[in-house]
Amino acid sequence: MAINMKMQEWNPLGYKVLYKELFKRHLARQEELLKRGRPVGWFFSFHPSELIYVFDLVSAFPEQYSAYCAARGSSTDLIDVSLSMGYGHFLCDYFKTTIGSIVKPEKATPPTMPKPDFIIGSRGLCIAHCEMADVFARFNKVPCYVVNYPYWTRDMIGRHDGFTKVPEKIDETYFEYCVASLEGLIDFLEGITGEKMSEDKFKDVFRVAEDTSKLLLEIIRLMMSKPTPGSQREICDLVFVAFFALGSMYAYDFAREAYNLIRDRVKNGVGVVPNERYRLLTFGIMPWHSLTLYEYCERLGATFPANLYVNESVHLVEADKPFESMVRRTIHFTNADYEMIYDVVEGLKEADLDGAILFENTGCRVTSMIIKPLADILEEELGIPSLIIEAPQCDPRIMSLDRAKMQIEAFLETLK
Amino acid sequence: MRSKRISNNAKHNKRKNTMPDHLYSLFLTKSKILEYKKAGKRIIGTLCNGVPEEIIHSLGAMPTRLLGLSKTTENADLKLPRWLCAYARRILEDGLRGYLNYLDGVVGITSDDTKMRLYSTYTFYVKNNFSYIIQMSYVRSENSLKFFSMELERFAHKLSNHLLCNFNLDRLKESIKIYNKFRLLCKEVCGLRVIDTPKICGADWMKIMLGSVSTLKEDFNKIVEDELASLKDSEGVKDYKLRVHISGADFYDVELLQLIESLGAIIVSDDLCTATGYFSGFVNEGEEPFEDLAERYLSCSACTFTAHPNVSLIKDRIGFIKKEVERSKADAIIILRDKGCEIYGWQCSSIMEELQDFPVLLLDIDTPISLEQYKTRIEAFIESYGD
Repeated sequence: MAINMKMQEWNPLGYKVLYKELFKRHLARQEELLKRGRPVGWFFSFHPSELIYVFDLVSAFPEQYSAYCAARGSSTDLIDVSLSMGYGHFLCDYFKTTIGSIVKPEKATPPTMPKPDFIIGSRGLCIAHCEMADVFARFNKVPCYVVNYPYWTRDMIGRHDGFTKVPEKIDETYFEYCVASLEGLIDFLEGITGEKMSEDKFKDVFRVAEDTSKLLLEIIRLMMSKPTPGSQREICDLVFVAFFALGSMYAYDFAREAYNLIRDRVKNGVGVVPNERYRLLTFGIMPWHSLTLYEYCERLGATFPANLYVNESVHLVEADKPFESMVRRTIHFTNADYEMIYDVVEGLKEADLDGAILFENTGCRVTSMIIKPLADILEEELGIPSLIIEAPQCDPRIMSLDRAKMQIEAFLETLK
Repeated sequence: MRSKRISNNAKHNKRKNTMPDHLYSLFLTKSKILEYKKAGKRIIGTLCNGVPEEIIHSLGAMPTRLLGLSKTTENADLKLPRWLCAYARRILEDGLRGYLNYLDGVVGITSDDTKMRLYSTYTFYVKNNFSYIIQMSYVRSENSLKFFSMELERFAHKLSNHLLCNFNLDRLKESIKIYNKFRLLCKEVCGLRVIDTPKICGADWMKIMLGSVSTLKEDFNKIVEDELASLKDSEGVKDYKLRVHISGADFYDVELLQLIESLGAIIVSDDLCTATGYFSGFVNEGEEPFEDLAERYLSCSACTFTAHPNVSLIKDRIGFIKKEVERSKADAIIILRDKGCEIYGWQCSSIMEELQDFPVLLLDIDTPISLEQYKTRIEAFIESYGD
């Protein structure tokens, strides 16, 4: 470590307790629904999670489960299982980990995901989600439905707000196609459950989702305050709330408490560390096996007021526009032509950033291919340099934590 | 084993037909493209087989499937992850080096994650006057078909506005006819590969297909028509040890195919996006050309980006491979898997499982290709399963 980089006292927001309660309630719901014999579905990020609660479905998320395996050390064995089956090395870590857990459940961290009755693929981020859904459905011999969305371009939506994801417009042709695709999903779920969708419940769930989404948006905005009030170690898990639990009461309760904590911090001018020296942007799927890296940086005085991957997971839900809200969820710069990066970067100006640490997730084309254009735009628009670290989200063998720390230290030296 | 095993060394056509080399030179030099350009034609590069070239053709422009010529990718590697497929990195490299300056526009399609972002990366770093990404549907439902048809119509109008020409349905129908004729001729040439004494080897077949992306299809059709009779009359390949099917995606390195055949195999069929996958599947010549195009391009079995509802994406691809293998009476399969290929990364396991009755050699391909590295394994494979 460089001589003048003293480790500081670290003072996180305290979201750990809230996450624990959130997952406890999530698992209790699962258990209760399983007892009632409700169908189990596997879903992916950017899926309209509200429908899980409208239809009382048991939900499992291969991405979340893979991250859990990565954090607990079983993902490398599971990845090796998938490679031995002939799957490519440079595929999504979430896929490789999940397929390993299906084929060799004894190698996976318990509790494993409940066996699905159906799988929903969604092209709201990547085609890999559709491919994963296809493979998982084949392995489990269950039906699969794919919700399709466009890869958004300026031509189709104009400019968009990088936080709320509200676009200037949505070209009618594409909007109608998305709505038809979502209506197809509702038909599919009605077929799976054998029940007509309750309109009242639909409205109720979207009201909860709206309130939750507003709180989540406030949290990511407040993170940009000076000094940075919280740690990315705890903010990064917001993706699970936004992706998978939006529409539930427990997500709302979590968001309310989380908002209160960060609001009070900002009001009192308290930061995650006493002496904030660098304000950094981060992007890329978080390396779930090495999350202590954030704490390490923060203790060095390098805080993260913005995490674009977390920001991409959050969008504004409007209960009176449920279908538009479901479509809006997919309007983010990781599912759009690169012109949209400028909209996102515009919103970062108030964060007063000094640099960026970007994670190139080996095997994830969506996040990795955008890294260099993003770095170029950050340099061009904000005048800040970027450090790119190769960091597959579930395979620590490719990313040495010590090497990453050295790279970061050297990078921080250049920011002086 | 169904192959004819006559002697140890594969000796290909004695009276070598010059068409493959001629067409391959058009691919390498782009001479025909530059000639069209000089004559005032606009050149539109496409980033995937999924882009319906007929639309571009009907607007008086020349569509050309982009396949990079750069052997190394040092510039592209600064803009893209190094583990990405060579196909994407080589196109970007060509663009960054200025090799593609003859292009007037680029058209992509959302057929896979790499190609989708390649479109954005390419247009971000290599500016073109025109660019468009066609939105693909992933399910062959009625709704998707209707949407895709509308999307193709939208693309046609955007391009016609850019080219300052009026879109004309009759011209589109005419272009569809020209492309169907191209497909018919390719099918006929392909048919000459599967007979006992193949009239054309795999490397030459690839050269022909590469030539087809470097000429207007009407010109290509004429070249092939003129040479077809002579090709049919040629002696054919008699001496080979093993009939091989080649499986892969956007592979187009002729040298590796030449190596395989120089070691005693004959490549009698393939499912490559750059060869058989490029031409397979006719467009219905009906009164609703956009719907006909949508139908054909959503059901390209050589690719996997769409499936019928509740039908696995891989099923059609495996069906296509099996059909080709059966037709060609191949004894073995060589898989050329680009280490960064997304499509083959997903499919390889299932394909190998489905083809377990066949001897399969899996080669992980990286660029630049080291022929020497593959030689030993190919040789051993041919020795093990050939006569």
